[in-house]
Amino acid sequence: MNRIFDITLKDLLQLVRDFKTFMFLLIMPIIFTFLFGFAFGGIDGSADSRLPIGFLDQDGSWVSQALRDQLEKSDIVRIGAARIDSAQELVQLVADGDLAAVIIVPDRYGSHVLKGRTVRLIVFAETDSTAWTTVEAEILTAADRVDSAVRVATILEAIDAKRMPFDYSFDQVITAWEDPPIAVKETLSPVIKDIDQKTLSLAHTSPGMMLQFAIASLLTIATIIVNERKTRSLQRMLTTATRRIDILLGHFLTIFIMLFAQFTFLILFAQLVLRIDYLRVPFGTLLVMVSSILCISALGLLIGVLAKSDDQAVIFSLIPMFVFSGIGGAWVPLEFTGKTFSAIGHLSPIAWAMDGFKNITMRGLGIESVLLPSLALVGYAAVFFSIAAWRFQRVSE
Amino acid sequence: MNAIEVKNLHKSFGELKAVEGVSFNIREGEILSLLGPNGAGKTTTISMLSTLLRPDQGDALVMGHSIKEEPMAVKSVLGVVPQDIALYEDLSARENLIFWGKMYGLRGAALKSRVDEVLEIIGLTERAKGRVGKYSGGMKRRVNIGVALLHKPKIIYMDEPTVGIDPQSRRNILDSVVALKDQGMTVLYTTHYMEEAQELSNQIVIMDHGRVMADGSHEELVRIVGENDRIILGINTESAHVIEIWKAIPGVVHITAENSALHLLVEDSNQALPRLFESANAQNVRINSVEIQEPNLEAVFLHLTGRELRD
Repeated sequence: MNRIFDITLKDLLQLVRDFKTFMFLLIMPIIFTFLFGFAFGGIDGSADSRLPIGFLDQDGSWVSQALRDQLEKSDIVRIGAARIDSAQELVQLVADGDLAAVIIVPDRYGSHVLKGRTVRLIVFAETDSTAWTTVEAEILTAADRVDSAVRVATILEAIDAKRMPFDYSFDQVITAWEDPPIAVKETLSPVIKDIDQKTLSLAHTSPGMMLQFAIASLLTIATIIVNERKTRSLQRMLTTATRRIDILLGHFLTIFIMLFAQFTFLILFAQLVLRIDYLRVPFGTLLVMVSSILCISALGLLIGVLAKSDDQAVIFSLIPMFVFSGIGGAWVPLEFTGKTFSAIGHLSPIAWAMDGFKNITMRGLGIESVLLPSLALVGYAAVFFSIAAWRFQRVSE
Repeated sequence: MNAIEVKNLHKSFGELKAVEGVSFNIREGEILSLLGPNGAGKTTTISMLSTLLRPDQGDALVMGHSIKEEPMAVKSVLGVVPQDIALYEDLSARENLIFWGKMYGLRGAALKSRVDEVLEIIGLTERAKGRVGKYSGGMKRRVNIGVALLHKPKIIYMDEPTVGIDPQSRRNILDSVVALKDQGMTVLYTTHYMEEAQELSNQIVIMDHGRVMADGSHEELVRIVGENDRIILGINTESAHVIEIWKAIPGVVHITAENSALHLLVEDSNQALPRLFESANAQNVRINSVEIQEPNLEAVFLHLTGRELRD
C-alpha cells in the first residue's frame, strides 16, 4: 500500500515541476467557458433575443403608427432595419435570414380600418420556418388589437360622443390590452427562477469545458507514464518488490488527485464568479464529480499504458478529448441535436457527466437525478481500468 | 557457495530464439561477466534472472530462490543497474534515490541515512539537489548505479553500464565495480568490451546467438585458443584470393578477412610473419601494416565463432 502512495507522491512532484502546464490546464477551461458562453449569446445580458422583423409603412396614418407601436411593445418580435424604406431590400434581408419577416402596411390601410373594411397587411416571410409561426401570431395579435380598439372606439363615440370621444376610447382600449383580463403567466420553478439567459448559457459551457480540459490534462500524466517506460524506470521498478497493480494504482491515484484539484477549482470558480449553482445539491455535485474523475482517470491510465511515445500520448489524449467532448455535448448541448444524435452522444461518458451536472445546475433536479449518470460513469471507469490493467499485465516490458 | 545457479534457460520471442540452453554458476562474492556482441542474449538472460521475463524452459536459483517460483524473494536480494539511465530526469539525485529507496522498502531515518551514504559512495553529495536531467552522462550513470546499491543487495546485476560514456567516467565505474566485489557483493556484469571482462572478472561466460560458447576464468578461456598469436595485416588488394593461399602456410591456424585487413591466428608470429611476407611477394600483394596481439578474449571469440567481437 505504501508503494502506491510513494508512486503517487513521485508523480505529483513531477507534475508540480511542470507548473506552467498545470496552470494552463486551470486557466484554459475558464477562458473557453467564457468563449463558448459568448458563442451561445450568454455573456451580454442585455442582448435582445426577440425575433427581428422589418416594418414598411406605406400608409403613414396614425392607425399604422398604432400598429407599429403595438409591435414595438412585443416581447416576441422587434422592429429591425428601421432606416430601410425599400420593400425590395427588406425582402432581401428576409431571404438572407437577417429578418424573420417583413410587414408592409399598404396605402390607405388606416382609412380602411376606420371605415370597418377588410384590409390586408402584406407580409414576406420564410413560411417553412418555426419562427414564422411565432411571428405570424404576434402580427395577428397586434393587428387585431388595433382593429378591435378602432371598432370599440367607433361604437362608443356613436353612443355618446361627448363623454366617450373616439380618441379617448381608442387610447383606453389600447391601454387595456397592456393588462388583458386573461393571460398566460409563465413561472419558473423556485429552484431555477434566478437563472437568467447569461447564467443558463454558462451553466452549459462550464461543465463542458471542465470535462473537456480534464481529458486534455491527461496528456501530462500520460507523458509521465510513457517516459517511465521509455527510460526503463518502469522496468527497474519491476525488479523491486513492487507489484504491477501497485504501479497502476499509484498512477491512477495521481490522476485522480490532479483532476480532483482541477474540478474543485473550476467548480468553485463557477459557483462564486459565474453564479452557476453547483452547490445547490452539494452531494449530488460531488457524486457526479467523483464518478467523472474516476472515469477520466481510468481513461488516462489506459492512454498511458497504450501510448509508446510522447507523440502517441498527445494523439491518444486529443482524440478522446475531441470525440468524447464533441459527441458528448460539451460544445453544443445534446438537447439541440435531436433524439438520434443525443442517443449516439450518450456513448460518450462526457454526455452522462453533462447530464449529471446540468440536472443540478440547470434543471433544478435533486440528488436522485444524478444516480444514473454517476452509475454510467463508474461503469465506464471500470471498463477503462480493466483494459488498462489487462494490457499492463500482458505487455512484456 | 553459488550465489546464482543458472540451469538450461530458454527464451524465445516468436520465431526468434533469444536464449538457448544457457547454464552457468556464479560463486558468492565474485564477478562474472557475460561477454558477447549485441544480440548475443546477454540482456535477455539478465532480464530472466531479474524476473522481468519468465523463461520458456529451465530455471535459475538466486541465493537459493527460484526465479520462477519465488520471484519476490529473488527481487529482495537483487540490485539491478539497467543499460538505460532508468531515472526521473525532472527530479534531483536525492529525490530519485529517496523514491527508489522506498521502492526497495526503505523508510524513515534508515532511508535518509542510506541515501546520504550512497550519495557519498557515488561522489554526488555536493550536487545532490541538482536535477538529474542537467547532469553529464557520467554523473547520470553514477546515480543509476547508486540506486541499485540503496538496499545493500547481496547480488548486483550491471547491464552494460559503461555504454556511451567518456573514458574517465568509465574508469570510475569499473573501479566502483571492483569496490563492490571487495565489499563482498556478487556481481553479474554484461559487456561487449573484452577489456572490461578481462579486467574485472573472476569468471567470464562468452555468449553468441543466445548460447554459451565458453565459460571459465580469463586464463582458462585464453587456453582454448592455445598459445596462438593474433596478427592483423593490412593489404592493398582484395583479400579473397590470398586467404586460401595463406591458410595453407604452416603455422597459420585461422584466417578471416575484414575490409582490407586480414585477421590471423598463428602458432608463432615470429615464424609465421616471414612466410606471410614471402607469400605476399610471390602473389604481388603489398602488406601496408602489421599488428601482433597476445592471446586475448577477442582471439577466443574469433576462434569460437569465426567472427569479431563487435556489433
